[in-house]
Amino acid sequence: MTNRQPVIAVIGAGIAGLEAAHQLAALGYKPVLIEKAPVVGGHVAEWNRLFPDMTPAAEVLEPLRARAEGIKTLLNTEISAINRLKDEYNIVLGDGTTLLCQAVLFATGFHLFDASRKEEYGYGIYNRVITNRDLEQWFNTRQDSRIDHPKAVGFVHCVGSRDLKAGNAQCSKVCCITAIKQAIEIKEEFPDAEVYCFYMDLRLFGKKYEDFYIRAQRDYGIHFIRGRVSEVGEAIDGRVVVKAEDTLSGRPVKVTLDLLVLMAGIVCNPDARHYAQQIGVARDEDGFLESRNNLDAITESSRPGVFFAGACTGAKTVPETLAEARSAALAIHLYLSKRA
Amino acid sequence: MDFGFQLSPSSAVNLDTVDRRRYDALVQLEPDALTCIGCGSCSATCTASPWSGMSVRKVLLGLQRGRDGEVDRMLSACMLCGKCSMVCPRGINTRQLILTLCRLDKNGEVVR
Amino acid sequence: MRERFASGFDPFVIPFLIGMFFVLGYCLVAMVRVIAQLPKDDRKRFLLSLIKPKYIWMNLRDIFLNCLIHVKLWQRNKVLGYMHSSIAFGWFMLIVLGHLEVMLFVPERIHLFYYPIFFNYFVAETESTVQGSLLMFLMDFFLLMILSGIVLAVIKRFASRIVGMRRTTRLSLMDRVGLYSLWAIFPLRLLAESFTAHISGGSFLTIPANWIFRQFLGNDLNALPTWWAYSIALMVFMCVLPFTRYMHIPAEMLLIPMRNAGIKIRHPRKGFASLEVYSCPGCGVCIDACPMSVQKVNCKDATVYLNRQLRRGDERRIAEISDKCLLCGKCSAVCQVGVQGPELRLAQRERRKYALSPAFAGLDTAALVSAAASGGGPGKVLYFQGCMTRLTPSIRRATTSLLDKADVRWQLMDPDEGLCCGRPLMMAGRTEQARELIAKNREIIRASGCDTLLLSCPICYRVFRDEYALEGVRVVHHSVFFQELIAAGKLQVRHEEGLRLVWHDPCELGRGCGIYEQPRQALAAAGELVEADRHHAESICCGGSLGSLTLSFGQRVPMVRNALDKLTAAAPDQIVTGCPLCLATFVREADRPVRDIAEVLDERS
Repeated sequence: MTNRQPVIAVIGAGIAGLEAAHQLAALGYKPVLIEKAPVVGGHVAEWNRLFPDMTPAAEVLEPLRARAEGIKTLLNTEISAINRLKDEYNIVLGDGTTLLCQAVLFATGFHLFDASRKEEYGYGIYNRVITNRDLEQWFNTRQDSRIDHPKAVGFVHCVGSRDLKAGNAQCSKVCCITAIKQAIEIKEEFPDAEVYCFYMDLRLFGKKYEDFYIRAQRDYGIHFIRGRVSEVGEAIDGRVVVKAEDTLSGRPVKVTLDLLVLMAGIVCNPDARHYAQQIGVARDEDGFLESRNNLDAITESSRPGVFFAGACTGAKTVPETLAEARSAALAIHLYLSKRA
Repeated sequence: MDFGFQLSPSSAVNLDTVDRRRYDALVQLEPDALTCIGCGSCSATCTASPWSGMSVRKVLLGLQRGRDGEVDRMLSACMLCGKCSMVCPRGINTRQLILTLCRLDKNGEVVR
Repeated sequence: MRERFASGFDPFVIPFLIGMFFVLGYCLVAMVRVIAQLPKDDRKRFLLSLIKPKYIWMNLRDIFLNCLIHVKLWQRNKVLGYMHSSIAFGWFMLIVLGHLEVMLFVPERIHLFYYPIFFNYFVAETESTVQGSLLMFLMDFFLLMILSGIVLAVIKRFASRIVGMRRTTRLSLMDRVGLYSLWAIFPLRLLAESFTAHISGGSFLTIPANWIFRQFLGNDLNALPTWWAYSIALMVFMCVLPFTRYMHIPAEMLLIPMRNAGIKIRHPRKGFASLEVYSCPGCGVCIDACPMSVQKVNCKDATVYLNRQLRRGDERRIAEISDKCLLCGKCSAVCQVGVQGPELRLAQRERRKYALSPAFAGLDTAALVSAAASGGGPGKVLYFQGCMTRLTPSIRRATTSLLDKADVRWQLMDPDEGLCCGRPLMMAGRTEQARELIAKNREIIRASGCDTLLLSCPICYRVFRDEYALEGVRVVHHSVFFQELIAAGKLQVRHEEGLRLVWHDPCELGRGCGIYEQPRQALAAAGELVEADRHHAESICCGGSLGSLTLSFGQRVPMVRNALDKLTAAAPDQIVTGCPLCLATFVREADRPVRDIAEVLDERS
């Protein structure tokens, strides 16, 4: 090894990439952030507030962004190809330049399931049907003609997750709590609105999540209906009619809504799968990238020098992602020290 | 003697005594039935449900809880349109499940 | 010209005679049985058709074109067409010419069955006359033709890809015996005739062969054994014929007149169904055609194997094959004999016993009937969206929007969405229950007084058209209805230059109802129409069909992908179809937009 600082390509400048890059720089390495979008921050930058404390997303993102200030960041940059050399990786960028690095960190995150694929929910067909992302954007910008003082709002959990037909049998983990967060926010915004959450199972596993659920029930009077929405129709006045079974009472239910929010699930970023394939990194049965093992080596791939952080290996919350980013930085540090 | 109320047998399901032969035979033939999560998609989408209360979810549950009469009533309304198969998130072939169930007698034997 | 034997007999003809009488006897009994098994009205209809000149002509023409020339096979695959017609037509001509020879030269021997077959053994030197040499030439010509077909058949058996078939049928033991004896017949005939050619005469094939043989075999001792071998090969073939796929040769000659008379499958095993089963030549064209064959494990469930299992009576396999099928009808479309794979399977499904059956006769539709009666009336379109369309709301939306744009007055037949058309019940073999439902639905349609029933689902369309008997009501699929509105100038559709659209023919609409062109014409108004790799009657089922009872969601995925793969061969921008089930199935796997025809038209009008 030369005395040159080892270069580490960090693919994706979302919160995982930013945090990992910062930690790697602190450890004396030269991380290079490669980001397809024109800005850093990934999905969190599009979000308004975060569960379970309603922390503004910017409050989480700003320090990450500030700390990554001095790190070489390539924005608007696509990756054309990744090649595995003897013990280095050569990344060909969209503009034709190449980047030689000693380690690659996948911080490629997730994609939200394309809700229009579930035709029966009418996203892209009915004007009153939006997704969780659309709603967050409205919280940010207050500009969306589809949201106009709704009197009745529904949330559909598990859209494109836990759904074999959508090609994603996994639980997306964060939608239940996100739905509750957004339901509360809608209720704060429109106190007169009736808010319904249609769920299959409520999976509120994290710290303070259950408290959030209790508040949603007690303080906001949100109606929780245990039944998966089967289809969405249109009433004569243009409102949407949601059909489900209230499985607890065993009765079919029908409700007319002004706004229906689809909690689109989390699927692996297809780009990540594409890159991973090029360097022989395996894909797990669930479609996400495959860790060396799922207990103590989540941030490591089966290939030496290739590491993971965040949602590229499965749905993650913000604290999980940040913890993984740090852990991945340490794993890279150990890997490079061993080689030196 | 008139107590002013009637004693009726408990409506509780006694899992110790419930006859599950039909259910057991069904899952032998259609093992996917075991993967039902009871989400209710099938009931909500069912074409026959509005006038009959048909629900594949309830059929599966009823078989395991000894509610055979209710199960048979529901089954006899099914038009086999296949919408439930279309919406099932677990990909259960509900239409075939219903057909198979209709072929089983009370003892869980396939009629020939 | 002279007869070589005054007796006109040699013991070597005995094997042939045994085979001949056996096969004729067997076929006669089988034919009588099949006709006797027909329901009474069908039988009467069939027998009457046999004496009507129109049907006689039709039957003769079809038997000639299908059994001898194999026209359908020619259209599909030239090599296979040649192979089959060379053997069938060549053999037929050998028999005809053999009879001609006997009638011409030894008319007193015409009552001997074997004379035309072994003419060259019994009669010598016919080539010296013009007729003789011409007949000799023709005999050799057709023999050569058959031999060339046999060569192709051997190649096909061992390397099916050379003749353009990816897969060919796995043969049963009996089929093998039949096949090898058939292959043996004609080379043996060549040998036998060649050995006697210097005595009995021959032509361009047999005389040179005779000359070659005589170079190293100085005597005629080989002649008789080869005639024996030829006769034995014929016997083996004819004796095993009823138990092999070659039964299709006699069966098809009965099938054609029966089909022409309009006979349909009315019993799962007897009568016309058994005739179809025996008419299957086992060629295996249906294996490649079957959309399920993308997975090797499903190849054994093609129609050719259903026919085989029906002959064997393996109930477990019959049920398995019958229930798995998508009922897309492609095997029937490509079958040269016209075996109706889906109908055969449906008949098996109908046979099933149930402990519990649904009942719809008591269904209370009074509210729907009165609602239909109050809102309907002549000139109005009754729109039945059907179960599946409710899962694809874009179709209903676009359809009603187009109706409004064209100023068509319409109403929904079932606004509460509680009725099914009955076709899914039929597909599951529950015809009786379907009839009850149909009767209920018919009441509503009749009460509405509407003269057009509009369907956006081909599954519904087919059953309303074929089973409802709605005289005075026009049953129409939305793709056809909108095409007519466009043609009549009532709908203006903007043409988008460069927008490549491919039309997926849904099974029930295309092969099921023969509607191929109207949707294409309508789409051509909206964009540039491109064709899929397989289209029209050869279109590949989307894989989502309700026809299959047992295929699981996961098992269907490779079929969906294969269908999409073929559909997008011409790089269309959008895939367009006219069936909600195809739409919902394709959307899950497609890499580009999948739309209903109504959506495409609505967006541009």
